[in-house]
Amino acid sequence: MTKPYNSEARLGKYLVGGPPFLFLLLMFAAPAVITVIASLSYPGEFGGLAPLVARDPGTLHGVTLETYRFFFSDFIYIEIFLKSVLMASATTLFCLSLAYPLALLIARSPKKRRDRLVLLVILPFASNFLIRIYAWMIVLGPQSALSRLINGILSLFGLAPVHLLFSSFAVLIALVYVHLPFMVLPLYTNLEKHDPSLLDAAQDLGANAWQRFWRVTFPLSLPGVFAGTALVFIPALGMFAIPEILGGTGDMLIGNLIKEQFLVTRDWPFGATLSIMLTIAVLMIAWLTAKLGARRYV
Amino acid sequence: MYSSRYGLWAAALAVYAFLYLPLAIVVAYSFNDSRLNAEWVGFTWHWYQVLLHDEDMLIAAGNSLLIALVSSLISTVLGTLAGIAIYRYDFKLLNFLVMAPVAMPEILLGVSLLLFYIQVLNLTLGMLSVLLAHIVFSIGFVAIVVRAGLAALDVSIFEAARDLGASPWQTFRHVTYPLILPCMIAGGLMAFTLSIDDFVVTFFTAGVGVQTLPLHIYSMIKTSVTPEVNAVSTLLMLLTLALILAAARFAPDMLKGKY
Amino acid sequence: MWRCLLILALAGSAQAENLLHLYNWNNYISDTTIARFEAECACRVVQDYYSDNEEMLAKLTAGAVGYDLIIPTGNAVESLIRQHALRELDKSQLPNLKNIDPAYLNTAFDPGNRYSVPYAYTITLIGYNREKIRALGLPVDSWAVIFEPRYLEKIKGRVTVLDSQRELLAAALKYLGYSANDTEEAHWMQARDLIIRAKPYWAAFNASSYIKELTVGNIWLVQGYSSDIFQADLDAVTAKRGFRIQAAIPGEGAVLSLDSMVLHKSGPRPDLALRFINFMLDGKNAAELTNLIGSGNPNRDALRYIRPEIVQNPAIFPVSVQHLEMLRELDRHQRRVLSRIWTEIKLR
Repeated sequence: MTKPYNSEARLGKYLVGGPPFLFLLLMFAAPAVITVIASLSYPGEFGGLAPLVARDPGTLHGVTLETYRFFFSDFIYIEIFLKSVLMASATTLFCLSLAYPLALLIARSPKKRRDRLVLLVILPFASNFLIRIYAWMIVLGPQSALSRLINGILSLFGLAPVHLLFSSFAVLIALVYVHLPFMVLPLYTNLEKHDPSLLDAAQDLGANAWQRFWRVTFPLSLPGVFAGTALVFIPALGMFAIPEILGGTGDMLIGNLIKEQFLVTRDWPFGATLSIMLTIAVLMIAWLTAKLGARRYV
Repeated sequence: MYSSRYGLWAAALAVYAFLYLPLAIVVAYSFNDSRLNAEWVGFTWHWYQVLLHDEDMLIAAGNSLLIALVSSLISTVLGTLAGIAIYRYDFKLLNFLVMAPVAMPEILLGVSLLLFYIQVLNLTLGMLSVLLAHIVFSIGFVAIVVRAGLAALDVSIFEAARDLGASPWQTFRHVTYPLILPCMIAGGLMAFTLSIDDFVVTFFTAGVGVQTLPLHIYSMIKTSVTPEVNAVSTLLMLLTLALILAAARFAPDMLKGKY
Repeated sequence: MWRCLLILALAGSAQAENLLHLYNWNNYISDTTIARFEAECACRVVQDYYSDNEEMLAKLTAGAVGYDLIIPTGNAVESLIRQHALRELDKSQLPNLKNIDPAYLNTAFDPGNRYSVPYAYTITLIGYNREKIRALGLPVDSWAVIFEPRYLEKIKGRVTVLDSQRELLAAALKYLGYSANDTEEAHWMQARDLIIRAKPYWAAFNASSYIKELTVGNIWLVQGYSSDIFQADLDAVTAKRGFRIQAAIPGEGAVLSLDSMVLHKSGPRPDLALRFINFMLDGKNAAELTNLIGSGNPNRDALRYIRPEIVQNPAIFPVSVQHLEMLRELDRHQRRVLSRIWTEIKLR
């Protein structure tokens, strides 16, 4: 499609793009603005927001930086962000180390087989998110074969049995499981494009398999790695259902804290503030991975 | 070379096992004649019968289907328009608005919509609020598929149409539309599965009156885990699987990890 | 099949009839009671459920409307009254109100019972696997067994506490010798430290699945609601587990949650709701709930219909209510501070 003439273009742009644009302006941009305003409000006496303009004199109202001050006033909230970042990083690393060999194998398979192998990665991802979490509840449950096997082995060495379910381990494994395809796909699309003659050339120059991987394949695949990192890290950072269902006594992440502000504490301004902090974290990570992904590494 | 190839296969097989075993266990235990998801006792259809007589579950399923149907239809129209506008007119701001809800953690979308519904629209949470929320995140997926479909087309056919004197509308109606229809269908089916599976955004925008299937599954997981959850999971998996494979027929690239 | 379901769902929402919308706790009314009321009033009862007062209040804040009748706990009733969210009761329509034990009327959260009528109560106490705890020789008459490492180390990973900010804090405050409604921050900090010290020994913060865990035998000791413990014991007996689940009220005192029926202003059918309240105040109907779930019952007329082993169970019908406290509502500042403490508890 060639770029159309100017006057037609402007008319067409708004005629065609107008409806979705207006819809998203109302249903996405406006709510985002409201979230910012909410974060600058006082909490309502019984929940919700205190009014910006006083209805009755003497009631709490107006704009304030109170929640931001509260957020930064002690280390605990920074700490929960750091903990969430740590969990998301671990998830990304595990995803990467599981996805890489798989993506490499698919990319190096005969062309005909590739589509089928990719399909096999996507299909489990088509099942409902909660079902995938539920599956791990069964696999890690105290009566499961896996638990009994592990605790059987532990007892051989005289060690105390471990609880797999309701632990950070369960949270991590489900996070990895749920996000794995997001890492495999961008890696595969990148690896598939590599020119095999580069590896042949490296081999001719005397590089062994290990050197060929670290000196040629891996650096070339870095844009794929960064794309996958963004796709795994960002949703993992905001997750609340996994820690809630599979976590133990210490597994609270930033998503759970946000949910709690809206569904338990009824402190909407603080919930909005936490959302905005999370948005900032997400934007920083998106920017960083985009920047790194766009660089040339070879 | 060969030894590393075997190593690669072994690693890949392990990852495939990791992907499939948990789901296989869910399916297997849906036929297990025991309340506990622990040992295999015997084969039964019992949990599927329980499911068919579980009124709450059926109502939730009906709600989910209705919301998915309507939201996928609307987001197919809006998403197609968006895909065309982004591809053809390089509508950058729209591109951002379409992609942002797809890229950000779902909880942020849920929270901001909740605030918006209550504080600004004064809308009672229910079917409508869930429906609108689902359209917001579905548009992006349809737009991506449609835009990619457009990008794959041969530019010269549009030039030919114009050279033959076709107006932009005629070009769209007789050239573009038939060519991107498969992408629209694929995008629509994708939107349908996203809607029927969505938990997080629905969780924040549903209020108490509306139960959807994922919300119902969530409350079952949190309170009393019986193999009925396995049975409904198995059925839902079959449904999404069928839809995904159908979508793949219309846009084969979709299953090649191109998006 | 899907098309049938669709039609079913549409048909369900299109019917216009006499509907009573009830926003209730999970499993907090007997199906037979509902059926009897539906027959008597020629109406249909539609229920939505919550599992936590905070959840219910949060959902109402988030704009949930259309409920004729809600059954919140005292502190939530207090919050709803102060929000002007409730209708005043027309007591001339409630002749059966005379059946309620005066000890449960005229409470601090609704003086004069202008808005609320007692429905049932539970006590937050210690539930335990009788055989296991006996064998280990642990005391169950004190919160110490939940909070003190010297006891907990014998049952590490076999203990759960409630996933409720208010309830857990109240238990810790009680153990420290304060009121469950103490709002002094220094005391809250002491309670926090107590909880953080005990936390490594607990398996989970749990909302409702502890009933099953007790029945299966994975968990031996819980902080839980008296009615849930009763349920767990019934299940254990039915499943012939070979052990019993018992409950004990700690000597330091505990929280009594009195759930009351209130009329929400958004409900379109206050007439049906009042009829329902009066119906539930009938001793026979009130007794049905207690016989089903083992809740405490403020209805004097109900006692003669309740199974004797329940009436005689001191963990359900306490001998004295003196050291039992009802929780009061917190203000927005206190809620934020408590949430912060809770975050710290979860993080440490």
